[in-house]
Amino acid sequence: MHIVVDLNRCQGYAQCVFLAHQIFRLSGDEALTYEPNPDDARRLQVQRAAAACPVQAIMIDRQDDAERGAA
Amino acid sequence: MVEETPWQQALRYANRANPYPFYAELRKTPVARQPDGTYVVSTYREIVALLHDPRVSSDIRKIRQATTTDAEQEAGASEDVISLEPNIITSDPPEHDHDRRLMTRHFYGPQDAPHQISDLEPEIGRVVAGLLDAMRDQTRIDVVDEFAYPLPVTLISKILGVPLKDEPRFHAWIETALNALDFGPEAISEELQSQLEGGRQGVRELKRFIAELLDTYAKQPGPGMLSAMVHDDGREGHMSEGVLLSNALLLLFAGHETTVNLIAHSVLTLLRHPDALQKLRRRPELIVPGVEELLRYESSVQFWHTRSAVEDIEIAGTLIPQGSPIFLVYGSGNRDPERFANPDELDLERPDNQHLGFSQGIHFCFGAPLARLEVQAAVGEFVRRVENPRLVVDPPPYRHNQIFRGPRHVLVDIDGIRD
Repeated sequence: MHIVVDLNRCQGYAQCVFLAHQIFRLSGDEALTYEPNPDDARRLQVQRAAAACPVQAIMIDRQDDAERGAA
Repeated sequence: MVEETPWQQALRYANRANPYPFYAELRKTPVARQPDGTYVVSTYREIVALLHDPRVSSDIRKIRQATTTDAEQEAGASEDVISLEPNIITSDPPEHDHDRRLMTRHFYGPQDAPHQISDLEPEIGRVVAGLLDAMRDQTRIDVVDEFAYPLPVTLISKILGVPLKDEPRFHAWIETALNALDFGPEAISEELQSQLEGGRQGVRELKRFIAELLDTYAKQPGPGMLSAMVHDDGREGHMSEGVLLSNALLLLFAGHETTVNLIAHSVLTLLRHPDALQKLRRRPELIVPGVEELLRYESSVQFWHTRSAVEDIEIAGTLIPQGSPIFLVYGSGNRDPERFANPDELDLERPDNQHLGFSQGIHFCFGAPLARLEVQAAVGEFVRRVENPRLVVDPPPYRHNQIFRGPRHVLVDIDGIRD
């Protein structure tokens, strides 16, 4: 699966980190880093993280959709 | 006889099951001054603006005394007697930031891998399964007492290191304290006045109980977060005994009261919306966005009461004078049609659902990830396993408290529990 986090929206609430620390990580108080292509086995965890984001900055498989749309 | 404002009507116990028509009336004046000088904010945009406004304090001590009613001064005086330091909901930066960071490390784990709450998922699943298994031979259940309450109280007690055997005692103290708190026109009623001293006593007992537990852990380290905080190495700074005590009280209280209401309201709401219930049965993965919608639809914290203006604030054509109390009504913002299309409809797949169920800004719910895991597991398994659930009483009886709004019982007839 593929994820994109809009880092301009991210405000460092860290909800994704608490629900899926294998994929999302905060360095310092606000700088988020993440694994953009997590294993499909982590799909539920990633979905939970995306749903929990207070600013809805996490997009799942959107790039694939966009590519399909453009094709 | 002066007519009551929409806010005062929304707070009346008779309207606890459905305050929403009064919220709709309230939103006609986004920032509404009440007769006691409180400014009640009910529209999404204004709530969010004030949640991020540095001119708003959350420290209850900064509310100007002149604007408080007799009942509130009474309550303020009793707080002096009980003398609790500010906790992370009732403090401002920089103390707030320091204390919350420290608590985050103890609650979630180290910053590079905060795994402690997500690691609890199997345990949450076991507790949920056990509660449903225990109902196998029943034809009628109380969703509140038998399902919604035991799960969060079991988990938060374990996380904190509060012995579960003491649950009947601290549950009773918390209930008594909550029932004595009233922000509406019924605060002056004889019934409420007669409960005030009991409520204070409940807080005192709870405080003594936690203080003794912290003392015990100071002498002999034990399991859980409270013991770990007592023995904190201080590398991120110090938390005084008094502040630790206040925050321990907060975690024990908020760690179960709010989640109970969310689970009970979620089951109640789904049983009132058979189409949504069917959809969730067919597509169990919808529990993840579904819980977000349930948080929006019936917020466990309807409003918050400790904020005030540290300077004059002009917003939505209203001037909030310095020192005035500000109530942000999350339950109303979540039903604001300017922000949410068809806000009174339940849509488990609602797009762009930036609800206020956990607030926003620096006081965003500390335990939100735990609550989400608990409610997703509990409601998901209830929907999957409980056969033919039917509401017995609708609307159900509600608890008295206006902030932590939730049903006292939700009786449901069932045909059985699937494996």
